[in-house]
Order: sequence, then C-alpha cells, then structure tokens
Amino acid sequence: MAEPKSTPVAITVDHLSQTYPVPFLRLKKLLGRKFKPPVEALRSVSFEIREGEIFGLIGPNGAGKTTLTKIIATLIQPTAGAVSVKGHDTVTDDQRVRRNVGLAGAEERSFYWRLTAEQNLLFFARLYGLGNRTARRRLAELFELLDLQEVARRRFAELSTGNKQRLAVARAMLAEPPVLLLDEPTRSLDPIAAMRMRSTIKSLSQTNNSTIFLTSHNLPEVEELCDRVAIISKGEIRALDTPQNLRAMHTAEERVAIRFTALSALEAEQVINKSYGSYSFVVEAGSWSDETLVRFTRALNDELLDRILRVLQEAGAVVRSVETERATLLDVLESYEGAS
Amino acid sequence: MILFIRRIWAFIVRDLRLQLSYRMQFFLRVLSILTIVTTLFFISKIFTGFTDPRFAQWRDPLAAWLTGLAVLNYFMTGFSSLATAIRQEQVQGTLESVLMTPISVPTVIVASSAWDFLEATLFSFLYLLFGWLFFDVHYRGNFLLALLFLVLTTVVLSCLGILSASFAMVFKRGDPFGVFLGTGSALFSGVFFPTQLINQYAGAGVAKISRILPPTYGLDGIRRVLIEGQGFGEVQEPFFVLLIFLGVLLPLSLWVFNRAVRRAKREGSLIQY
Repeated sequence: MAEPKSTPVAITVDHLSQTYPVPFLRLKKLLGRKFKPPVEALRSVSFEIREGEIFGLIGPNGAGKTTLTKIIATLIQPTAGAVSVKGHDTVTDDQRVRRNVGLAGAEERSFYWRLTAEQNLLFFARLYGLGNRTARRRLAELFELLDLQEVARRRFAELSTGNKQRLAVARAMLAEPPVLLLDEPTRSLDPIAAMRMRSTIKSLSQTNNSTIFLTSHNLPEVEELCDRVAIISKGEIRALDTPQNLRAMHTAEERVAIRFTALSALEAEQVINKSYGSYSFVVEAGSWSDETLVRFTRALNDELLDRILRVLQEAGAVVRSVETERATLLDVLESYEGAS
Repeated sequence: MILFIRRIWAFIVRDLRLQLSYRMQFFLRVLSILTIVTTLFFISKIFTGFTDPRFAQWRDPLAAWLTGLAVLNYFMTGFSSLATAIRQEQVQGTLESVLMTPISVPTVIVASSAWDFLEATLFSFLYLLFGWLFFDVHYRGNFLLALLFLVLTTVVLSCLGILSASFAMVFKRGDPFGVFLGTGSALFSGVFFPTQLINQYAGAGVAKISRILPPTYGLDGIRRVLIEGQGFGEVQEPFFVLLIFLGVLLPLSLWVFNRAVRRAKREGSLIQY
C-alpha cells in the first residue's frame, strides 16, 4: 500500500470494524426465536487521508462503502476501532467533526420536497450557524458554481434527478468544510454536467485544499480524479494505492491493435512470423473495409510495437491507426473480487 | 445563545413554509374548532340548571370543556410533537441530513417542536376566543398563574414526549407512552367530566389512574385559577406535584433520548422507520 506523504492528515481510520447487531438478540435467544447472524460490514479497516487529497473508495454493492462513509460522517457509531477527522474523534467529539465535514449522499429523499431548492439550502445553512446575509451570499456562490440558478426557486420535488444530486453537493459545501464526503457525485448527471462536477471537485482540492473522500461506481471517473484509491470488498480493504500503481499491480502489459491497408492478412502474417515467430499475434482481415488488423500483447514500454510497425511499413503497409488498451480499475476490481 | 435561537428560527421558518404549502389544511382546522365549540355550546344547554354543587369548576360546563380542550391540545402537542417530528423526518429521509449538521441533541428536541407549540398556542387560543366571542364564556383569575401551570405541565409532558420519541427512534412503531397518555388523558384527567365521578362510579382503584397522569394536575390547576379564581396559595398542591414529575422525568428523558440516538447510530437505523 502507498504510504501517505508528510502533509497533515485530514482523516484517520484506525482498525475500524462495524458489525450491525441483531435487534433484541438476547430476547430472541431467550424466546428461542430464529435470527439472522449479525452483519459484519467492516473488518479492521485502516488508512489515512492527507489534507487536499482526493481519495477514492471503490467496491461492489454491499462492500461497506456507505457504512464507512457514514461512520466518517458521525451517522453510525463503529463497533470497534476509531475514526478521527482533523484530529477529532467521530464518537466522542462528533459535533466538531460535523463542523469539518460535508456529506453529499446518494439518498434522494434527504431534502424537503415541498420547499424550493433555495429554501432547503437556507434551512441547512442556518443549522450550520450561518447568518442570513452570509447564507444568502454562500447560496448565490454555490448556485452559480453548480449551475443551479435557474432552479433555485423551484420546489425540490420538481427538480430533475441531476439537479437534486447537485443540490446535495451544494448542501455539503454550504459551510465550506475542509473535508467533503461525496457518495457517487456524478451518478445522475448528464455527460457535460458530470464533466463540470469533476472539474469542480478537482478545483476544490487544488485551490481550497479540500480533502475529498469519494465513493463511486464510475471507475474511469475515479481514475481521473483520485490521487489514491482503496478497493474494498466484503468489509476489508484489499488494495490501496495510486490508480497507476493499482493498474500496474494487476498487470504490466497492454493490448495493442494496429490497423493498416495495402497489405493483406496473409502477407502480414508471413512478414511478422518471419521476424517475430515466437510471439503470439492475431492477424485478421477487416470484414467491413480493406483494412487488416494485427493484435498482440506487449510489456509496458518495450520496443515491440516500434519494431512491428517498422516491419509492416517496410513490407508496404500503410498504417491507419494504432490503439493501445491498458488494464483499468475495473480489471483490478474484478481480479480482487475473483480472488475473494 | 444566538446560534441556538438561529437554529430554532430555522426550524420555525421551515415548518411555516411547509405549512403554507398546504393552505387548505389550516382553514379546515380553524373551521373544525369553531364547529366543536358550537356543538359543545348546544350540549351545555342540556345541563343548564343541573350542576352538582360538589363540582365548582363545572358550574358552566362550556367553560370547563373549552378550557379542557384548549389545554389538552397544548399538552398533547408537548407530548407528541417530538416523536411526530422525528418520525416525519425518518419517513421523509431528512433525519440524517439534520443530524449531519453540528446541532446538539437538546437543540434538535426544542427546535423540532417549536413550530408545533406555536401552532398549538394559536389553536388553543381559538377555543377560548370562540367561546368568549360567540357564546359569552367568561374567564377570571390570574392569567399569569394559569400560564405558569400551562408551561409547567407542557414541559412535564414534553419529557414524556422525549421518552416517546426515543421509542420511535429505536422501535420505530408501537409507543406505549402514546397509548397510555393519548387515550388515558382524555378519560382520566378531567377533560370532559370531573375526575371525582370516576371514584364514584368505577371505584377508588380506577380513580388512582388519574392521580398518576400529569395532565390531571395541570388541568385542575388551570381550571381552579381561571374558573374558580383561586390564587397561588390555594393551588400549591397540583403545582408541587408537577414540579416533582419534572424533577424525575427531565433528566430521565434526556438520558434515554441520548441512549436511543446512540443505539440507532450503532445499528445504522437512523433513517429507518
């Protein structure tokens, strides 16, 4: 696992375990009633998140992502272990933690549906202790930042799913907390709005030095945004590193596809086999065009691609495109899921 | 303190706005109070000239009923508003969002009930106002002393309301306090008839139930002040009984509520209902 750098730590998760108890277990045992075993949602999870870092948490449904997020947000008390945010314990010093944390959850029902977007945010701004003038100024900033001006006076019930999602992010940012917990922040956004949201998240980290804890099922987004990513499965952290290192840990190879014309599949196969017969290549004639396709796997950054291109061009091929495909976080996640 | 007031104000504004989004409901409630007062006026006419001299507070039954209903409305708000507010926030899914803000448990308790008390004040006042305005019901005595009784009894009932909310937080449904107080108060606290009649017709054992219900003392005190015109020296007994209830129930209810919130957080069931 990657070691945190020397920048101050924003969130510490220390041997955190969470087992959801069986309600009235003793009574059920006494009465001889059947009961399901307790659910172990987290098992001795430990890591640190540095200030200004964008930290991603990925894993399948039921892996423990939401439980972990809610424990950091003080909404669930852990069975064992501890979490501290900016040095404050989430159980013994929960009010201070809540001053430092903003949560944008994936739960759509967390607003008052008959109030407008503006009235909803004003209510929460007052709970955060903002005065009327400060609250209204902050709302104007957030509505502009998240492109919500046009729907500010609309009832929450009338907003699109994407706008509801953005409003949840706006609420998390109301009191300008140093730590933001974002649960699938682009889940319901259209591609352009999602791109804007990603750029907002990046700029919050870069310009405000906000620490961002992000859970998502959108793996390319996690790769694009996160400085480090933890993979969680069945309540345990399976891997934690930068996206690049996680991919490299999975496989140090990439798949290559070269498309060319002016050389048939048979001719291409012959020239390649003559020079590199020991490698495994697939040569195919294009079904919809006169293109030929050569596919092979190579070690990252070796010279095989350069050599193959040279051989093909010397044989008269006109190269139309070269595509490379490296392991993604999805491959990494799949491999850990398969292993568990 | 400013922060505390600001947060209470936030809840009041929120609830007022939610209420305004259902305008018709308000007018129907006012209309139903006027209907009830009118109905009670006609029923009271059946008893004209039949008042038992033992029941001094019931010489004018309409005045006794209106005081009873106005005060019961207030008491029930004190008792049920927090549990209702928490249940509503659970059903709406907003409880987690509210508890995510740096707001303390006592503030949540006071703020969640603030609007309900304002509304109850208005509706309770309407019972008395309609009686005075349309049916010539007169009240006398020390209104401040009556108010003191009202506040004290409401705070006592709010403590039971906090216990009830704790049940809502943990068990989600099936609150024993609601059953006990909701049905018990109307029957045993003297809202519609003198509590002495329970002793006469059901026996001393059943009559004891009225003595363990705080609304009995609150209502007795308020009627003695407003209808019989008694002063503080004469209403000390119900006053001190209410103080004892308060001394026991306030710390107990706050402790239980804190435990209930912690339990719901351990179980991760804050938004479940």
